[in-house]
Amino acid sequence: MAEKTPVQLFHLEDKRKRYRRSDFYLRIGVLGLLFLIPFLFPSYKTVDLAMKIVIYAVLVASFDIMLGYTGILSFGHGMFFGIGAYSVAFLIGKYGDPSYFNLMLGMAIALLAAAALAVIISFLSLRVKAIFFAMITLAIAELAIVLATKLSGFTGGEDGISLSMPGIFAVSFSAGEFLGIEITGRVFTYYLILLSCLGLFIVMLRFTHSPLGRVLQAIRDNEQRAEALGYKTFIFQGISITFGCVMAALVGGLYAMWVGYVNPESCLGVFEIMLAVLLMCIIGGMGTLYGGIVGAAFYLITETFLPDLQHLARDFFPNALFLHNVLERWSLVLGVLFILIVIFFPKGVIGSVRDYLARGSR
Amino acid sequence: MAEIILRRWGGELAIAGAIALFLLPLLGIPGKTYLTLTIAGLAMGMLLFLVASGLSIIFGLMDVLNFAHGSLFAWGAYVGFTVFNLMMDWVEADSVLMNLGVFAIAIVIAMIAVAILGIILERVIVRRVYGNHLFQILITFGATIVLVELISVFWGPNDEVMTVPFTFRGNWDVMDVIVDRYRVICIVIGLLVYSVIKLILKKTKIGTIVRAGVENREMVQAMGHNIFLLFTGVFAVGAGLAALGGVAMSVFSLQVYPHMGSTYLLFAFIIVIIGGLGSVTGSLVGALIVGLSYNYVAYLVPWAAAGSNVIIMIVILLVRPTGLFPSGE
Repeated sequence: MAEKTPVQLFHLEDKRKRYRRSDFYLRIGVLGLLFLIPFLFPSYKTVDLAMKIVIYAVLVASFDIMLGYTGILSFGHGMFFGIGAYSVAFLIGKYGDPSYFNLMLGMAIALLAAAALAVIISFLSLRVKAIFFAMITLAIAELAIVLATKLSGFTGGEDGISLSMPGIFAVSFSAGEFLGIEITGRVFTYYLILLSCLGLFIVMLRFTHSPLGRVLQAIRDNEQRAEALGYKTFIFQGISITFGCVMAALVGGLYAMWVGYVNPESCLGVFEIMLAVLLMCIIGGMGTLYGGIVGAAFYLITETFLPDLQHLARDFFPNALFLHNVLERWSLVLGVLFILIVIFFPKGVIGSVRDYLARGSR
Repeated sequence: MAEIILRRWGGELAIAGAIALFLLPLLGIPGKTYLTLTIAGLAMGMLLFLVASGLSIIFGLMDVLNFAHGSLFAWGAYVGFTVFNLMMDWVEADSVLMNLGVFAIAIVIAMIAVAILGIILERVIVRRVYGNHLFQILITFGATIVLVELISVFWGPNDEVMTVPFTFRGNWDVMDVIVDRYRVICIVIGLLVYSVIKLILKKTKIGTIVRAGVENREMVQAMGHNIFLLFTGVFAVGAGLAALGGVAMSVFSLQVYPHMGSTYLLFAFIIVIIGGLGSVTGSLVGALIVGLSYNYVAYLVPWAAAGSNVIIMIVILLVRPTGLFPSGE
């Protein structure tokens, strides 16, 4: 191993430059901010918003593994998210007591169930054509909603399941005050989920930068060529789908822990979750992983503060009717934005900024 | 021996098997109810065929998976709803001619309006992403968001009740079998549309070019035909078929709502997977399978109705991944 391949040389070069690049510090800054949020802005609304941004960012990243890195569009990602949420809710809400063991067991079941289902679905659809995957996942996701609603004895139906966290993560738990902030179970839960999401994100980063991830990108860019080079594209696409879906299920479990409540609409809904995830992914940028953070932040912040924005617009610009209409019809604006981004900036915010910086440095 | 029989009689055996399968529910359903359910299933299948055929033709010729097809369907339903409201005295009149007239006018106006919408959609949005399946799905999905939101803008976000034309209401009683009048009309519409499409595809020059385009697009271009004009035309026809399905289905289900497209788009996807993407006959067969089985299962095991279609789809995918009728037929 005396000779280094060009790829290895490139990586070494990249590593040496790491501390001189601005985006490295940007990442550290964002992470630091997320860690300090419960102390900087202790209000319920901001902490909840920050947590949801983190959860959705990782969900979008797992979606991006399939969409941006493998070129496969799934409409069943919300279903896998829901599988994770429901398995945690079953274990510590409906069929078991809140305990650390049950919590871990719930996550393990989420992982296994999602992996099994993903393998079956990818086997069914990839045999034909990759685009069949979009249709088949849509159909199966709808079936999952129907099952979750109709089998109310098992899943709690439309009423859903409430769950409470065990031990130090319980809402009622209190560990006294620190820096003037009361340290409740919510704060512990926040850090638990933040660390877990960070872990999942790093795993996904590793996955995409591994040799396996490179093969997936090759398949995305030219499937015939990848096949001609001797890669069994079917197997690789299956691996990517399974990995992305398992990640989604784990994120779903974390989501259930934070919200403390699951129901078919909020956890399985094709049009509630899939729409949001697709928008976030496209806005942030396909094939970047980090795009999910930008997309989720943009989408969730506007969604949360939209009523305030509408009030502001009415108070400060009472005559700007166009502005009012835009804010009234926000989903329409998002839809148009979606189409425009797909046509003109298919790489999204992160990809376009990266291109711009790369052009500037040359 | 068995192989020879299969090769010689395979098609007939399959048809016999299918017939046996559809007589099977007779074991659990009384005969007269079975006939009523069959008519309901055929009617529903015909309506679903209208939606699925457009999707299937567009895919067959243009290689575009149109996720906005459902919202075009909903637009058709809403335009028909508006025409019905404007001509309410014709709808309520106790005259077959006036009722049929308003129904036909609603269908024609909805088809024209939605065909124009389809042309705009194809020219402005879909044309930019030919050849890239992923971006086609994304961009038509984006179009769905916009079109559904526009429905809420123009007509409001709530469910609206669709009035059934006066003489279409009620049942006929044929030898103690209850036959819903409107269902018969739906079956007639479906058969008419199927024969018209088949005639156009088989007998006219345009139809020949479209069939050739499904087989080999580059060759048709090389022969000097403007394939992009053809694409726009086929997209408009597909959109018009969706609108026809929308009007007929809204009268069938007695309501219109902005998200109605997604429900029927899902049915259409299942149908084209069963029948084979790109095949008109496949769409018809798939639609009838879905319509009939949905009605039988809804009677026997009500909660499993929505799941039965997905199960059939999975079985077909396992046995015959390209669908019952591979594209181009």
